Amino acid sequence: MTVLDVRAISRRFGGLQALSEVTFSVARGEIVGVIGPNGAGKTTLFSTLVGLIRPDSGSVTLDGKDLAGLKPHRVASLGMTKTFQNVALFAESTVLDNVLTAGLLHHGVSGARDEAVRCLERVGLKDVAQKRAGELSFPERARVELARALCTAPKVLLLDEVMAALNPAEMSEIMLLIRFLRDDGVTLLVVEHHMRAIMNICDRILVLNFGRLLADGTPEQVARDPRVIEAYLGHPKEGARR
Amino acid sequence: MKGRIALGILIAAMALMPLLLDPRGYWIRVLAITLLFAAMAQAWNIVGGLANQISLGHAAFFGIGAYTSTVLLLKFGISPWLGMFAGGVLGGLAAFIIAIPTMRLQGHYFALATLAFGEVMRVIANVWTSLTGGPGGLSVPFTAPDFFAFSFKLLRPHAYIALAALVIVTAIFEGIRRSAMGYRLRAIRQNPAAAEVIGVDTTRVKLQAAVISGALTAMLGTLYAQVAVFFDPDTVFGIAGISIRIALIAILGGVGTAAGPILGAFFIIPLEEIMNDLLSSRAAGLSQLAFGVILIAVILWRPRGFITVFDQLWARWSRMRSP
Repeated sequence: MTVLDVRAISRRFGGLQALSEVTFSVARGEIVGVIGPNGAGKTTLFSTLVGLIRPDSGSVTLDGKDLAGLKPHRVASLGMTKTFQNVALFAESTVLDNVLTAGLLHHGVSGARDEAVRCLERVGLKDVAQKRAGELSFPERARVELARALCTAPKVLLLDEVMAALNPAEMSEIMLLIRFLRDDGVTLLVVEHHMRAIMNICDRILVLNFGRLLADGTPEQVARDPRVIEAYLGHPKEGARR
Repeated sequence: MKGRIALGILIAAMALMPLLLDPRGYWIRVLAITLLFAAMAQAWNIVGGLANQISLGHAAFFGIGAYTSTVLLLKFGISPWLGMFAGGVLGGLAAFIIAIPTMRLQGHYFALATLAFGEVMRVIANVWTSLTGGPGGLSVPFTAPDFFAFSFKLLRPHAYIALAALVIVTAIFEGIRRSAMGYRLRAIRQNPAAAEVIGVDTTRVKLQAAVISGALTAMLGTLYAQVAVFFDPDTVFGIAGISIRIALIAILGGVGTAAGPILGAFFIIPLEEIMNDLLSSRAAGLSQLAFGVILIAVILWRPRGFITVFDQLWARWSRMRSP
């Protein structure tokens, strides 16, 4: 069953076509990877889906509801949120307060606090709940952001490079968590540069290049696709000349 | 815990003060004004402290409150107690109207836009002579002492009314700080985009804070008019006298904390009076110069406000108790 349906969205920034007629749909409970070279439009795609950026044309439908013109907080209350590529925490607030604020979407303050503690337990950060978010290491901050996104109880969760700067052990923890979330019925879109991680956890992969959807298929299909290989590694003949 | 003890002591001390001062004297007026400014800085703190939107236009709401109740009293004989609520409604409305275009602005741009709004109100009050009396100002008529008419023989009741106002505004500030709205405002202050994405309606929360702050400031304007008895557009809509002073009190005391505006007001307002008392007869401008030098020194010494002195003392005391 389709939970997210994206139809021909385009977005231009001055002379740059950041997204060009991107179309795909995601079934409930899928883990979908979004890959592509730097500047391919991955982050722009996520920002457009949650309403931070308005598409010039095209439509986004979440659970049958058209998201056209909705602000991010409305999209969040309908069940879709994202994490930020460079981690956007409330640095002066405590870790608990960061996550609690997200819980206010569906609960009062005390209910949100209980929910925030649960979310922090889930990402293994309960011990640092009372620390200021700005004091944490980068990998910890990425996990706080994940907990904060979870605390909005999303149906669709967009993770923008949550595994950047993680060591292999931390990375496998997050991969495990992503699988658990899927088992709970959360649908996930994951932007990641780490190929092994993304091939490992994703059911399907979308490849973006210069704002266009280059390929859409299983990890195996995408890895064999000559256009994808070219986008990442350059033209085979050019390589041969070196 | 720490905050509650400190606030309890502060309120008790302030409640005793009117009894110790000469009820016909000059200093009880200074006390009443100090308490009112503390309350105004606290109302300002809702927007300035929690959302970190540094408004330099709060005189607009203050003046609206002073004029609304006084005009209603002069033209229709309506008690200032009722006029205060009428002023609150108009002040909240003005805050709503000014918030719509300025809300997206941040930092200096927000400060300048609000500053301009305060000035526009001053100009309007100066030229709308039929309503406001123009530059000549308005006098609150003296009637027989009667609580319901907000008329008292001495200043002591005014000091207690100002104290009650301060306690109420502080309770509102503290209530907001701990509520969902407080969490949302702090999130907006630190990262508006992230706040939106996790479900905070940033526009609505900012509007709510602005309206509450504006309405409370206007109601305090009424209390000021009743203490001052006479005022004109330049006093109640003044940039330096009201707008900047309110912000300065909160910043000097400690922005975003409940005790900050109280500490700030009890430092700045009496200091100004003392400086005027000691120095104004010596040379023109000397008292302002000395006042300015002291303010600069204090800001350099405690950039995050007086509140940090107490935080340090408390930390030292806690360490001594639990070695």
